[in-house]
Amino acid sequence: MKFSSAFSKLFKVATGIAAGGPLLIVLVIIIALVIDSIPALRYQGWSFFTGTSWNMGNAYASTLSIHGGEKAAFGASFGILPFIVGTLSTSLIALVIAIPVAVLTALILVYKVPKSLGKVISPMIELLAGIPSVVYGLWGILVVAPFVQHVLGPWLMHLGTIIPFLAGPIQTGYGLLTAGLVLAVMIIPIVTSTTRDLLMQVPQLPMEGAYALGLTSFEGIRFIALPWIRRGLFGAVVLGWGRALGETMAVLMVSGGAANMPANLYSAVTTMASAIAADLDSAMNDYTHMSVHALTLLALTLLVITLVTNVAARLLVYLGRRGPDVEVQA
Amino acid sequence: MNKASKGSMVAIAAALLVSYAGYASLQNHSPSASAAAHRVAKKHVAAGAIHLQETGSTLLFPLFQSWVPAYKKVASNVFITPAGTGSGVGIQDASSGAVQIGASDAFMNNGQLASAPGILNIPLAISAQQIMYNVPGLKKSVHLHLTGNVIAQMFLGNIKYWNAPQIQALNKGIRLPHHAIVPVHRQDGSGDTFLFTQFMTDTNAKWAKNVQFGTSVNWPQVTSALGAVGNNGVVQLASQTPGSIAYVGISWLNNALHQGLGEAELQNKAGKFVLPTAATIKAAANMMIRHTPKDERISLIYAPGAQSYPIINYEYAIVNKKQANPATATAVKNLLLWAISVKGGNKPMFMNKVHFLPLPASIAPLSRAQINQIKG
Repeated sequence: MKFSSAFSKLFKVATGIAAGGPLLIVLVIIIALVIDSIPALRYQGWSFFTGTSWNMGNAYASTLSIHGGEKAAFGASFGILPFIVGTLSTSLIALVIAIPVAVLTALILVYKVPKSLGKVISPMIELLAGIPSVVYGLWGILVVAPFVQHVLGPWLMHLGTIIPFLAGPIQTGYGLLTAGLVLAVMIIPIVTSTTRDLLMQVPQLPMEGAYALGLTSFEGIRFIALPWIRRGLFGAVVLGWGRALGETMAVLMVSGGAANMPANLYSAVTTMASAIAADLDSAMNDYTHMSVHALTLLALTLLVITLVTNVAARLLVYLGRRGPDVEVQA
Repeated sequence: MNKASKGSMVAIAAALLVSYAGYASLQNHSPSASAAAHRVAKKHVAAGAIHLQETGSTLLFPLFQSWVPAYKKVASNVFITPAGTGSGVGIQDASSGAVQIGASDAFMNNGQLASAPGILNIPLAISAQQIMYNVPGLKKSVHLHLTGNVIAQMFLGNIKYWNAPQIQALNKGIRLPHHAIVPVHRQDGSGDTFLFTQFMTDTNAKWAKNVQFGTSVNWPQVTSALGAVGNNGVVQLASQTPGSIAYVGISWLNNALHQGLGEAELQNKAGKFVLPTAATIKAAANMMIRHTPKDERISLIYAPGAQSYPIINYEYAIVNKKQANPATATAVKNLLLWAISVKGGNKPMFMNKVHFLPLPASIAPLSRAQINQIKG
C-alpha cells in the first residue's frame, strides 16, 4: 500500500515535470537570450533596429570601440534593418505566391477530387513538408535561380514600366524573388493541409442548401465555405508565414547574401536567420564577445516576431474551427 | 490548493531549478567540457589508445584528412578525428579545451590571446589565395593583370564595368567587354576574407579607412555585390555569374579553373604581375622569414620582392600549451612534429594536392620550438 502511494506521488511529479517541460524550455531559451543580448542593446542602443550597417569591427586593431560602457571590436556597429527587411520581404513574396496555390489545392482536395484519390494526394502534399530545407536550397540553386535569371525575371521586367520595383536590372538569379519562390514551395504544404482540415469542418447542410438554391459550386465555396473558415484561413496563412520567417538554410543558399536594402525584386538580400548562421563563426573571433551578444539580440528579435505570429495564428485557427456563429455570440 | 496541484507546483519548481542549473552550466561550459575531455583522455591512456580531435579551417581540412590514414602507420594507437567547421570555431574549441587541435587561416589577435593565455599559434604550411573572374568573351589562355588598388575599387563600387579605363590600362591589347562587374564575397566568416581584406587594406587607402580587415567585414554597399558560403559556394556562384570577380583559396584552384573561371596575375609590391605558383609563393615566403617573430603571428600579405606573390599566409594549428595529461600532450606534440616534417605531413605528395607549400627550412625550427612547449 505504502509503495503504491509513493509510486503515485512519483507519477504526479514525473507528469508535472513532463507537462511543464515545453513551456519551461521556451522560458529558459528566452531568459538566456535576454541575458545574453543586454550588452548589445547597451552598446548600440535602439539604432540596433533602425541602422543599416552591420559591422563586427576589426578585432585585430589595437584599440576598442566603447559605447554605453560596453566594449566592442574597433569600428563595430550593429544595425539589423537590412536583415529585417530581407526577412519580411522574402516571406511576404512567399505568401503572395503560396496562398492562392494552397487554397485552390485545398478546395480541390475537399470538393472536387474523389475521396479515394484525395487520400493519395493529401499525404503527398504533407510529404513536401518533410523534405529537408537544404534539399530545397540545392533545388533553388540548380533550378529556380537559373529560371529566375533567364526566364521569369526578363518576363517580369516588362512590367517594370508599371511597377518600378520589377524593372531590374537582374544581376543573377540569386536574390529576393528566388528566395521567395523557394520559400513559397516550402510553406505550401502547411497552408494547404491546415486549409483542408478547416474545409472539412464546414457543415454539409449549408452547402447542400446552397446547391439546392441553385448556386454553382464556385458560388457555394465563395459564399458558404470561405466565409465559414475565414478566420481559420487567416491563421493558416500566418502559420506558413512563421515557417517562412525562420527558414535558414534554403534562404542562405539562394538569397545572394548581400546585407543591402533591396533595390529591386532581384536584389541580393540576407534574412535574419541566415545572417545568424553565416556570421556566428566570425563572431566567435571577437574577443570582446560583443558580436555574439549582437547576434543573440538578432535571434531574440526573430524569436519574438515568430512567437507573436505563431500565437496569433493558433488563436485564429482555434476561433476559426468553431465556426462563424461563435463570432455572433462573442 | 489541492494536493494534486501542489504536487505539480513542486514539480514545476523542480524543473525550473534543473533547467536553471543546466543553463548556468552552459554559461560556464568550458571547465566542465575540459573536465569531460580529461576523463575521456584518462580512460584511453589506460587502454593505450589516444583520441585527438581537430576542428577549424575548411581550407586546411582536406590536408588534415589526407594526414589521418598516413599517420595511422606512424602511430597506430592515435585516433584523429578532423572536422572542417570554420576557423572561428577551431580557435574557440582549442581555447576552451573542447578539442586538442584547432585549425585557422588567421592568427589569433592580441585580445583573443589575452583572454586565452597559453594558446600557441603554430604554422603547419604555407597557403595562398588567387583572384578569379568570369569575364565573357575572354580567352582561357589570357590572365588579366590586376592591382590590389583596382580590385578594391571594384569591390567598393567605384569601378563598375570591365572595360573601365583603370582596368583597360593594365591590360593593353585585350578587348574587355562593357559588362557590369559583380563582386562576390564570402558570406560566412572566413580566413579567406581575412587574407583578401588585408590585401585590400594594404593597397587602397579608402579601404584601409572605411572597411579594414577581418574574418568578416562590413562589405561596401554595392548593388551588384553577392555573397556565398564556403569556397565551393563562391566558385559555383562566380562561374554561374557573368562579370563576377571573387577571391578563392588556393586549394580550390583546380576546381575553379575546371568550372571556367579565369585566374588573375596580381601586381606585387615591386610592381610586377605574378600568378600564384610554387616559385612566386616561395619567393614571397622567403622575404617574410626574417620578419616572423617567435610566436609566429604575422601577416605575409603584400611581401616585397620582384618574384613575390602578394596573397600568401601561414596555416595555423591552434593548440593549448597545457594538455589534459602527459600522454595526450606527447601525442599532440608528435603529431604536429610529424605534420611539419618534410618527411611527414609536409611531404610533396600531401602539399601538391592542395597547392600548399611546406614550411621554409628556416621557419620550421620556430614551429618546432613552439610545439616543444606543449606539456601534459
